Amino acid sequence: MFDLNFARASFGQILAAAPLTLLVAVVATLVGLILAILVAIAREKKIPVLAQVLAVLVSFIRGTPILVQLYVVYYGLPQLLVLMRSWGWNTNPDGLPAIVIAFSAYGLNAMANLSESIRSAYHSVDPRQYEAGIAVGMPPFKTMTQIVVPQLITNLIPNFTNIFLDLIKDTALIYNIGLVEIMGQANIVSSIGFKYLETYTDALVIYIVICWIFAKIFQLIESQLRRRYVPN
Amino acid sequence: MLLTVNDLHKSFNGREILKGIDFQIDKGEIVVMIGPSGSGKTTFLRNLNFLEHADQGQMDFAGHQIDLAKPDKKEGQWVRRHSAMVFQNYSLFKNKTALQNITEGLIYAQGMAKDKAEAIAKHELASLGLSQEAQLYPAQLSGGQQQRIGIARATVLNPEIILFDEPTSALDPELVGSVLGDMRKLAEAGQTMIIVTHQLGFARQAADRIVFFDEGKVIEEGAPQAMFDHPQNKRTAQFLTALNDAN
Repeated sequence: MFDLNFARASFGQILAAAPLTLLVAVVATLVGLILAILVAIAREKKIPVLAQVLAVLVSFIRGTPILVQLYVVYYGLPQLLVLMRSWGWNTNPDGLPAIVIAFSAYGLNAMANLSESIRSAYHSVDPRQYEAGIAVGMPPFKTMTQIVVPQLITNLIPNFTNIFLDLIKDTALIYNIGLVEIMGQANIVSSIGFKYLETYTDALVIYIVICWIFAKIFQLIESQLRRRYVPN
Repeated sequence: MLLTVNDLHKSFNGREILKGIDFQIDKGEIVVMIGPSGSGKTTFLRNLNFLEHADQGQMDFAGHQIDLAKPDKKEGQWVRRHSAMVFQNYSLFKNKTALQNITEGLIYAQGMAKDKAEAIAKHELASLGLSQEAQLYPAQLSGGQQQRIGIARATVLNPEIILFDEPTSALDPELVGSVLGDMRKLAEAGQTMIIVTHQLGFARQAADRIVFFDEGKVIEEGAPQAMFDHPQNKRTAQFLTALNDAN
Protein backbone atom coordinates (compact mmCIF):
# COMPACT_ATOMS: atom_id res chain seq x y z
CA MET A 1 0.00 0.00 0.00
CA PHE A 2 0.94 3.60 -0.56
CA ASP A 3 2.87 4.78 2.51
CA LEU A 4 1.66 8.34 2.95
CA ASN A 5 3.89 8.94 5.94
CA PHE A 6 6.99 7.95 3.99
CA ALA A 7 5.93 10.14 1.10
CA ARG A 8 5.44 13.06 3.47
CA ALA A 9 8.73 12.48 5.27
CA SER A 10 10.66 12.25 2.00
CA PHE A 11 9.05 15.27 0.39
CA GLY A 12 11.39 17.81 1.98
CA GLN A 13 14.48 15.83 1.02
CA ILE A 14 13.39 15.64 -2.60
CA LEU A 15 12.29 19.27 -2.71
CA ALA A 16 15.81 20.21 -1.55
CA ALA A 17 17.05 19.10 -4.98
CA ALA A 18 14.66 21.44 -6.82
CA PRO A 19 17.11 24.39 -6.94
CA LEU A 20 19.51 22.34 -9.10
CA THR A 21 16.69 21.47 -11.48
CA LEU A 22 15.77 25.15 -11.74
CA LEU A 23 19.40 26.25 -12.05
CA VAL A 24 20.03 23.97 -15.03
CA ALA A 25 16.74 24.93 -16.70
CA VAL A 26 17.23 28.67 -16.20
CA VAL A 27 20.91 28.80 -17.22
CA ALA A 28 20.23 26.61 -20.26
CA THR A 29 17.33 28.86 -21.27
CA LEU A 30 19.43 32.01 -20.94
CA VAL A 31 22.39 30.53 -22.85
CA GLY A 32 19.98 29.05 -25.39
CA LEU A 33 18.11 32.33 -25.83
CA ILE A 34 21.26 34.34 -26.56
CA LEU A 35 22.46 31.74 -29.07
CA ALA A 36 18.96 31.38 -30.54
CA ILE A 37 18.74 35.12 -31.24
CA LEU A 38 22.04 34.96 -33.14
CA VAL A 39 20.97 31.82 -35.02
CA ALA A 40 17.59 33.34 -35.93
CA ILE A 41 19.23 36.55 -37.21
CA ALA A 42 21.81 34.63 -39.25
CA ARG A 43 19.13 32.43 -40.79
CA GLU A 44 16.67 35.26 -41.47
CA LYS A 45 19.44 37.37 -43.02
CA LYS A 46 20.36 34.31 -45.07
CA ILE A 47 24.08 34.72 -44.42
CA PRO A 48 25.71 32.39 -46.96
CA VAL A 49 27.15 29.10 -45.62
CA LEU A 50 26.51 30.04 -41.97
CA ALA A 51 22.72 29.98 -42.44
CA GLN A 52 22.87 26.54 -44.05
CA VAL A 53 25.23 25.14 -41.42
CA LEU A 54 22.97 26.43 -38.64
CA ALA A 55 19.88 25.00 -40.33
CA VAL A 56 21.50 21.56 -40.36
CA LEU A 57 22.62 21.90 -36.73
CA VAL A 58 19.15 22.99 -35.61
CA SER A 59 17.35 20.19 -37.42
CA PHE A 60 19.94 17.73 -36.06
CA ILE A 61 19.32 18.82 -32.48
CA ARG A 62 15.56 18.87 -32.93
CA GLY A 63 15.65 15.42 -34.48
CA THR A 64 17.55 13.58 -31.75
CA PRO A 65 16.63 12.68 -28.14
CA ILE A 66 18.03 15.01 -25.50
CA LEU A 67 19.44 12.02 -23.58
CA VAL A 68 21.64 11.17 -26.56
CA GLN A 69 22.70 14.81 -26.86
CA LEU A 70 23.56 14.81 -23.16
CA TYR A 71 25.82 11.75 -23.58
CA VAL A 72 27.44 13.14 -26.72
CA VAL A 73 28.31 16.38 -24.91
CA TYR A 74 29.37 14.44 -21.79
CA TYR A 75 31.85 12.31 -23.72
CA GLY A 76 32.54 14.77 -26.53
CA LEU A 77 33.18 18.07 -24.77
CA PRO A 78 36.27 16.87 -22.81
CA GLN A 79 37.69 15.48 -26.04
CA LEU A 80 37.06 18.78 -27.75
CA LEU A 81 38.94 20.51 -24.94
CA VAL A 82 41.85 18.08 -25.35
CA LEU A 83 41.88 18.88 -29.05
CA MET A 84 41.78 22.62 -28.32
CA ARG A 85 44.69 22.24 -25.91
CA SER A 86 46.70 20.60 -28.68
CA TRP A 87 46.00 23.74 -30.75
CA GLY A 88 47.59 25.78 -28.00
CA TRP A 89 44.43 26.88 -26.14
CA ASN A 90 44.64 26.97 -22.37
CA THR A 91 41.92 24.43 -21.55
CA ASN A 92 41.55 21.97 -18.71
CA PRO A 93 39.63 18.87 -19.89
CA ASP A 94 40.02 17.04 -16.59
CA GLY A 95 38.42 19.73 -14.47
CA LEU A 96 35.13 19.88 -16.36
CA PRO A 97 32.26 19.78 -13.82
CA ALA A 98 29.15 17.81 -14.75
CA ILE A 99 27.03 20.91 -14.31
CA VAL A 100 28.90 22.63 -17.15
CA ILE A 101 28.12 19.61 -19.33
CA ALA A 102 24.47 19.96 -18.39
CA PHE A 103 24.44 23.71 -19.14
CA SER A 104 26.07 23.06 -22.53
CA ALA A 105 23.84 20.18 -23.62
CA TYR A 106 20.57 21.76 -22.48
CA GLY A 107 21.69 25.18 -23.69
CA LEU A 108 22.27 23.81 -27.20
CA ASN A 109 18.92 22.05 -27.10
CA ALA A 110 17.19 25.26 -26.01
CA MET A 111 19.03 27.15 -28.75
CA ALA A 112 17.64 24.88 -31.46
CA ASN A 113 14.04 25.03 -30.26
CA LEU A 114 14.05 28.72 -29.36
CA SER A 115 15.61 29.78 -32.66
CA GLU A 116 12.76 28.13 -34.54
CA SER A 117 10.20 29.77 -32.25
CA ILE A 118 11.83 33.18 -32.66
CA ARG A 119 11.69 32.82 -36.43
CA SER A 120 8.02 31.90 -36.42
CA ALA A 121 7.22 34.73 -33.97
CA TYR A 122 9.06 37.09 -36.33
CA HIS A 123 7.11 35.86 -39.35
CA SER A 124 3.82 36.39 -37.56
CA VAL A 125 4.49 40.14 -37.29
CA ASP A 126 2.88 41.78 -40.34
CA PRO A 127 5.86 42.83 -42.52
CA ARG A 128 3.92 45.81 -43.85
CA GLN A 129 4.50 47.54 -40.54
CA TYR A 130 8.23 47.30 -41.14
CA GLU A 131 7.71 48.78 -44.61
CA ALA A 132 5.65 51.58 -43.13
CA GLY A 133 8.46 52.39 -40.69
CA ILE A 134 10.99 52.47 -43.52
CA ALA A 135 8.61 54.58 -45.60
CA VAL A 136 8.36 57.30 -42.93
CA GLY A 137 12.16 57.38 -42.96
CA MET A 138 12.92 55.43 -39.78
CA PRO A 139 16.29 53.65 -39.91
CA PRO A 140 15.82 49.86 -40.40
CA PHE A 141 17.37 49.02 -37.01
CA LYS A 142 15.08 51.45 -35.16
CA THR A 143 12.09 50.07 -37.05
CA MET A 144 13.02 46.61 -35.83
CA THR A 145 13.52 47.59 -32.19
CA GLN A 146 10.54 49.94 -31.98
CA ILE A 147 7.94 48.12 -34.04
CA VAL A 148 8.83 44.52 -34.91
CA VAL A 149 10.67 43.19 -31.84
CA PRO A 150 8.07 44.21 -29.21
CA GLN A 151 5.37 42.36 -31.19
CA LEU A 152 7.71 39.43 -31.79
CA ILE A 153 8.30 39.06 -28.04
CA THR A 154 4.57 38.93 -27.34
CA ASN A 155 4.14 36.29 -30.05
CA LEU A 156 7.09 34.32 -28.69
CA ILE A 157 5.89 33.90 -25.11
CA PRO A 158 3.55 30.89 -25.55
CA ASN A 159 6.23 28.86 -27.35
CA PHE A 160 8.91 30.11 -25.00
CA THR A 161 6.82 28.86 -22.07
CA ASN A 162 6.52 25.41 -23.66
CA ILE A 163 10.24 25.19 -24.28
CA PHE A 164 11.10 26.33 -20.77
CA LEU A 165 8.69 23.84 -19.17
CA ASP A 166 10.07 21.06 -21.41
CA LEU A 167 13.56 21.95 -20.20
CA ILE A 168 12.51 21.76 -16.56
CA LYS A 169 11.08 18.31 -17.18
CA ASP A 170 13.98 17.18 -19.35
CA THR A 171 16.50 18.00 -16.63
CA ALA A 172 15.19 14.82 -14.97
CA LEU A 173 17.77 13.09 -17.17
CA ILE A 174 20.88 14.75 -15.76
CA TYR A 175 21.14 12.22 -12.93
CA ASN A 176 22.56 10.07 -15.74
CA ILE A 177 25.72 12.18 -15.59
CA GLY A 178 25.84 12.18 -11.81
CA LEU A 179 23.92 15.33 -10.93
CA VAL A 180 21.40 14.97 -8.14
CA GLU A 181 18.34 16.99 -9.08
CA ILE A 182 14.72 16.17 -8.21
CA MET A 183 14.67 12.85 -10.07
CA GLY A 184 18.12 11.78 -8.85
CA GLN A 185 17.17 12.63 -5.28
CA ALA A 186 13.94 10.65 -5.62
CA ASN A 187 15.98 7.65 -6.79
CA ILE A 188 18.33 7.92 -3.84
CA VAL A 189 15.57 8.31 -1.26
CA SER A 190 13.53 5.44 -2.68
CA SER A 191 16.48 3.08 -2.70
CA ILE A 192 16.79 3.58 1.06
CA GLY A 193 13.27 2.42 1.90
CA PHE A 194 12.44 0.59 -1.33
CA LYS A 195 9.33 2.76 -1.52
CA TYR A 196 9.45 3.85 -5.15
CA LEU A 197 5.87 4.93 -5.71
CA GLU A 198 5.95 7.29 -2.74
CA THR A 199 9.12 9.13 -3.74
CA TYR A 200 8.23 9.34 -7.43
CA THR A 201 4.83 10.72 -6.45
CA ASP A 202 6.68 13.37 -4.44
CA ALA A 203 8.74 14.18 -7.55
CA LEU A 204 5.59 14.32 -9.63
CA VAL A 205 3.96 16.81 -7.29
CA ILE A 206 7.07 18.99 -7.21
CA TYR A 207 7.33 19.06 -11.02
CA ILE A 208 3.65 19.87 -11.43
CA VAL A 209 3.79 22.73 -8.96
CA ILE A 210 6.96 24.21 -10.46
CA CYS A 211 5.62 23.98 -14.01
CA TRP A 212 2.24 25.38 -13.03
CA ILE A 213 3.83 28.39 -11.33
CA PHE A 214 6.01 29.21 -14.34
CA ALA A 215 3.16 28.67 -16.80
CA LYS A 216 1.05 31.15 -14.81
CA ILE A 217 3.85 33.72 -14.61
CA PHE A 218 4.46 33.68 -18.37
CA GLN A 219 0.74 33.71 -19.08
CA LEU A 220 0.41 36.84 -16.97
CA ILE A 221 3.32 38.52 -18.72
CA GLU A 222 1.84 37.70 -22.12
CA SER A 223 -1.62 39.00 -21.29
CA GLN A 224 -0.08 42.16 -19.82
CA LEU A 225 1.88 42.78 -23.03
CA ARG A 226 -0.96 41.87 -25.37
CA ARG A 227 -3.63 43.76 -23.45
CA ARG A 228 -1.81 46.93 -24.37
CA TYR A 229 -2.68 46.68 -28.02
CA VAL A 230 -5.21 43.96 -28.67
CA PRO A 231 -8.72 44.60 -27.37
CA ASN A 232 -10.55 41.65 -25.85
CA MET B 1 9.76 69.67 -61.80
CA LEU B 2 9.82 68.28 -58.26
CA LEU B 3 10.14 64.67 -59.36
CA THR B 4 11.09 63.19 -62.70
CA VAL B 5 11.41 59.49 -63.45
CA ASN B 6 12.80 58.18 -66.72
CA ASP B 7 12.56 54.71 -68.21
CA LEU B 8 11.70 52.81 -65.03
CA HIS B 9 11.77 49.03 -65.49
CA LYS B 10 10.90 46.42 -62.89
CA SER B 11 10.50 42.64 -63.18
CA PHE B 12 9.40 40.02 -60.68
CA ASN B 13 10.59 36.46 -61.41
CA GLY B 14 11.27 37.26 -65.03
CA ARG B 15 7.88 38.90 -65.56
CA GLU B 16 8.14 42.56 -66.46
CA ILE B 17 5.67 44.57 -64.36
CA LEU B 18 6.88 48.04 -65.33
CA LYS B 19 7.97 48.40 -68.94
CA GLY B 20 9.70 51.74 -69.06
CA ILE B 21 7.75 54.41 -67.19
CA ASP B 22 8.42 58.09 -67.81
CA PHE B 23 6.76 60.34 -65.28
CA GLN B 24 7.05 63.81 -63.84
CA ILE B 25 5.21 65.83 -61.25
CA ASP B 26 5.45 69.49 -60.35
CA LYS B 27 5.49 70.97 -56.89
CA GLY B 28 1.91 71.29 -55.64
CA GLU B 29 0.54 69.09 -58.38
CA ILE B 30 -1.94 66.29 -57.68
CA VAL B 31 -1.69 63.31 -59.98
CA VAL B 32 -4.20 60.47 -59.83
CA MET B 33 -3.19 57.12 -61.26
CA ILE B 34 -5.87 54.81 -62.53
CA GLY B 35 -5.75 51.48 -64.28
CA PRO B 36 -6.71 47.84 -63.93
CA SER B 37 -5.39 45.66 -61.10
CA GLY B 38 -1.94 44.33 -61.89
CA SER B 39 -1.17 47.17 -64.27
CA GLY B 40 1.79 48.26 -62.12
CA LYS B 41 0.45 51.36 -60.32
CA THR B 42 1.30 50.10 -56.84
CA THR B 43 4.66 48.75 -57.97
CA PHE B 44 5.44 52.14 -59.44
CA LEU B 45 4.72 53.91 -56.13
CA ARG B 46 6.78 51.37 -54.20
CA ASN B 47 9.71 51.97 -56.52
CA LEU B 48 9.49 55.71 -55.90
CA ASN B 49 9.90 55.10 -52.17
CA PHE B 50 12.53 52.34 -52.57
CA LEU B 51 10.31 49.70 -51.02
CA GLU B 52 11.11 47.89 -54.27
CA HIS B 53 14.30 48.24 -56.22
CA ALA B 54 13.95 49.00 -59.89
CA ASP B 55 15.97 47.09 -62.46
CA GLN B 56 16.58 50.20 -64.51
CA GLY B 57 15.69 53.87 -64.45
CA GLN B 58 16.68 57.38 -63.46
CA MET B 59 15.17 59.63 -60.83
CA ASP B 60 15.52 63.34 -60.24
CA PHE B 61 13.92 64.26 -56.92
CA ALA B 62 14.28 67.90 -55.83
CA GLY B 63 17.65 68.14 -57.55
CA HIS B 64 18.98 64.76 -56.34
CA GLN B 65 19.98 62.53 -59.25
CA ILE B 66 19.51 58.86 -58.44
CA ASP B 67 20.23 55.77 -60.51
CA LEU B 68 17.27 53.60 -59.59
CA ALA B 69 19.08 50.40 -60.49
CA LYS B 70 21.78 51.00 -57.89
CA PRO B 71 20.61 53.64 -55.47
CA ASP B 72 23.14 54.74 -52.95
CA LYS B 73 21.92 53.91 -49.39
CA LYS B 74 22.17 57.55 -48.37
CA GLU B 75 20.21 58.72 -51.40
CA GLY B 76 17.50 56.13 -50.72
CA GLN B 77 17.22 57.31 -47.13
CA TRP B 78 17.12 60.93 -48.29
CA VAL B 79 14.22 60.18 -50.63
CA ARG B 80 12.33 58.33 -47.89
CA ARG B 81 12.83 61.20 -45.47
CA HIS B 82 11.42 63.70 -47.96
CA SER B 83 8.51 61.58 -49.09
CA ALA B 84 5.83 59.65 -47.28
CA MET B 85 3.44 56.88 -48.13
CA VAL B 86 -0.12 55.99 -47.23
CA PHE B 87 -0.94 52.30 -47.58
CA GLN B 88 -4.01 50.41 -48.74
CA ASN B 89 -4.12 48.39 -45.52
CA TYR B 90 -3.13 51.37 -43.34
CA SER B 91 -0.05 49.49 -42.00
CA LEU B 92 -0.21 51.29 -38.69
CA PHE B 93 2.22 50.17 -36.01
CA LYS B 94 0.02 47.78 -34.02
CA ASN B 95 1.99 48.10 -30.79
CA LYS B 96 1.78 51.90 -30.77
CA THR B 97 -1.09 54.22 -29.92
CA ALA B 98 -2.57 56.55 -32.54
CA LEU B 99 -0.44 59.34 -31.09
CA GLN B 100 2.74 57.23 -31.11
CA ASN B 101 2.06 56.15 -34.69
CA ILE B 102 2.31 59.81 -35.65
CA THR B 103 5.31 60.70 -33.45
CA GLU B 104 7.46 57.68 -34.40
CA GLY B 105 8.58 59.16 -37.72
CA LEU B 106 9.20 62.60 -36.21
CA ILE B 107 11.34 61.14 -33.42
CA TYR B 108 13.24 58.38 -35.19
CA ALA B 109 13.43 59.68 -38.77
CA GLN B 110 13.72 63.41 -38.14
CA GLY B 111 15.39 63.28 -34.74
CA MET B 112 12.85 65.54 -33.07
CA ALA B 113 12.56 65.71 -29.27
CA LYS B 114 9.75 63.58 -27.91
CA ASP B 115 7.70 66.36 -26.31
CA LYS B 116 7.89 68.50 -29.43
CA ALA B 117 6.84 65.55 -31.59
CA GLU B 118 3.91 64.88 -29.26
CA ALA B 119 2.79 68.51 -29.39
CA ILE B 120 2.78 68.37 -33.20
CA ALA B 121 0.93 65.04 -33.25
CA LYS B 122 -1.68 66.27 -30.75
CA HIS B 123 -2.24 69.39 -32.81
CA GLU B 124 -2.65 67.26 -35.94
CA LEU B 125 -5.12 64.92 -34.22
CA ALA B 126 -7.10 67.90 -32.92
CA SER B 127 -7.35 69.41 -36.39
CA LEU B 128 -8.68 66.07 -37.67
CA GLY B 129 -11.16 65.83 -34.80
CA LEU B 130 -9.43 62.66 -33.54
CA SER B 131 -8.16 63.89 -30.15
CA GLN B 132 -10.39 61.35 -28.38
CA GLU B 133 -8.57 58.54 -30.15
CA ALA B 134 -5.01 59.66 -29.32
CA GLN B 135 -4.36 56.95 -26.74
CA LEU B 136 -6.12 54.11 -28.58
CA TYR B 137 -4.28 51.30 -30.37
CA PRO B 138 -4.96 50.55 -34.06
CA ALA B 139 -7.00 47.45 -33.19
CA GLN B 140 -9.38 49.72 -31.27
CA LEU B 141 -9.94 52.07 -34.23
CA SER B 142 -12.26 51.74 -37.22
CA GLY B 143 -10.71 51.31 -40.66
CA GLY B 144 -11.51 54.91 -41.53
CA GLN B 145 -9.91 56.19 -38.33
CA GLN B 146 -6.85 54.00 -38.94
CA GLN B 147 -6.40 55.36 -42.42
CA ARG B 148 -6.83 58.94 -41.20
CA ILE B 149 -4.09 58.27 -38.65
CA GLY B 150 -2.04 56.78 -41.50
CA ILE B 151 -2.46 60.03 -43.43
CA ALA B 152 -1.59 62.10 -40.35
CA ARG B 153 1.54 59.96 -39.85
CA ALA B 154 2.56 60.94 -43.38
CA THR B 155 1.63 64.64 -43.31
CA VAL B 156 3.31 65.60 -40.01
CA LEU B 157 6.63 64.74 -41.63
CA ASN B 158 6.08 67.68 -43.95
CA PRO B 159 7.16 65.64 -46.96
CA GLU B 160 7.82 67.07 -50.41
CA ILE B 161 5.48 64.45 -51.80
CA ILE B 162 2.96 61.95 -50.41
CA LEU B 163 2.29 58.68 -52.22
CA PHE B 164 -1.19 57.20 -51.70
CA ASP B 165 -1.61 53.53 -52.56
CA GLU B 166 -5.36 52.91 -52.90
CA PRO B 167 -6.05 54.61 -49.57
CA THR B 168 -9.79 53.87 -49.56
CA SER B 169 -9.92 50.43 -51.22
CA ALA B 170 -10.02 48.49 -47.95
CA LEU B 171 -12.65 50.71 -46.35
CA ASP B 172 -16.37 50.22 -45.89
CA PRO B 173 -18.18 52.60 -48.26
CA GLU B 174 -19.49 54.84 -45.49
CA LEU B 175 -15.96 55.40 -44.16
CA VAL B 176 -14.50 56.48 -47.50
CA GLY B 177 -15.81 60.03 -47.25
CA SER B 178 -13.84 61.01 -44.14
CA VAL B 179 -10.58 59.77 -45.65
CA LEU B 180 -11.19 61.56 -48.95
CA GLY B 181 -12.08 64.66 -46.90
CA ASP B 182 -8.61 64.65 -45.31
CA MET B 183 -7.04 64.24 -48.73
CA ARG B 184 -9.05 67.17 -50.11
CA LYS B 185 -7.77 69.37 -47.29
CA LEU B 186 -4.21 68.38 -48.15
CA ALA B 187 -4.89 69.20 -51.78
CA GLU B 188 -6.17 72.63 -50.85
CA ALA B 189 -3.06 73.20 -48.76
CA GLY B 190 -0.92 72.65 -51.86
CA GLN B 191 0.55 69.27 -50.90
CA THR B 192 2.15 67.42 -53.83
CA MET B 193 0.51 64.01 -54.11
CA ILE B 194 0.46 60.92 -56.28
CA ILE B 195 -2.73 58.99 -55.64
CA VAL B 196 -3.58 55.52 -56.88
CA THR B 197 -7.34 55.17 -56.58
CA HIS B 198 -10.53 53.97 -58.20
CA GLN B 199 -12.52 56.91 -56.76
CA LEU B 200 -13.24 58.67 -60.05
CA GLY B 201 -15.44 61.31 -58.46
CA PHE B 202 -12.61 62.36 -56.18
CA ALA B 203 -10.16 62.21 -59.07
CA ARG B 204 -12.30 64.48 -61.20
CA GLN B 205 -12.57 67.09 -58.42
CA ALA B 206 -9.16 67.03 -56.87
CA ALA B 207 -6.67 65.90 -59.53
CA ASP B 208 -4.68 68.22 -61.75
CA ARG B 209 -3.81 65.32 -64.00
CA ILE B 210 -4.93 61.73 -64.55
CA VAL B 211 -2.46 59.04 -65.60
CA PHE B 212 -3.84 55.81 -67.03
CA PHE B 213 -1.70 52.69 -66.49
CA ASP B 214 -2.12 49.44 -68.34
CA GLU B 215 0.17 46.42 -68.61
CA GLY B 216 3.13 48.20 -67.10
CA LYS B 217 2.95 51.29 -69.27
CA VAL B 218 1.48 54.77 -69.14
CA ILE B 219 -1.14 54.61 -71.89
CA GLU B 220 -2.62 58.07 -71.63
CA GLU B 221 -2.51 61.14 -69.43
CA GLY B 222 -4.28 64.44 -69.28
CA ALA B 223 -6.56 66.77 -67.36
CA PRO B 224 -9.46 64.97 -65.60
CA GLN B 225 -12.18 66.57 -67.67
CA ALA B 226 -10.58 65.66 -70.98
CA MET B 227 -9.54 62.16 -69.87
CA PHE B 228 -12.88 61.17 -68.39
CA ASP B 229 -15.13 62.74 -71.01
CA HIS B 230 -13.05 62.23 -74.15
CA PRO B 231 -10.46 59.48 -73.63
CA GLN B 232 -8.25 59.22 -76.71
CA ASN B 233 -7.08 55.64 -76.20
CA LYS B 234 -9.41 52.68 -76.66
CA ARG B 235 -8.13 50.90 -73.50
CA THR B 236 -8.73 54.01 -71.40
CA ALA B 237 -12.26 54.31 -72.70
CA GLN B 238 -12.94 50.61 -72.00
CA PHE B 239 -11.57 50.87 -68.47
CA LEU B 240 -13.56 54.00 -67.65
CA THR B 241 -16.75 52.47 -69.01
CA ALA B 242 -16.22 49.33 -66.95
CA LEU B 243 -15.54 51.37 -63.81
CA ASN B 244 -18.60 53.57 -64.36
CA ASP B 245 -20.78 50.53 -64.95
CA ALA B 246 -19.53 48.98 -61.72
CA ASN B 247 -20.49 52.11 -59.82
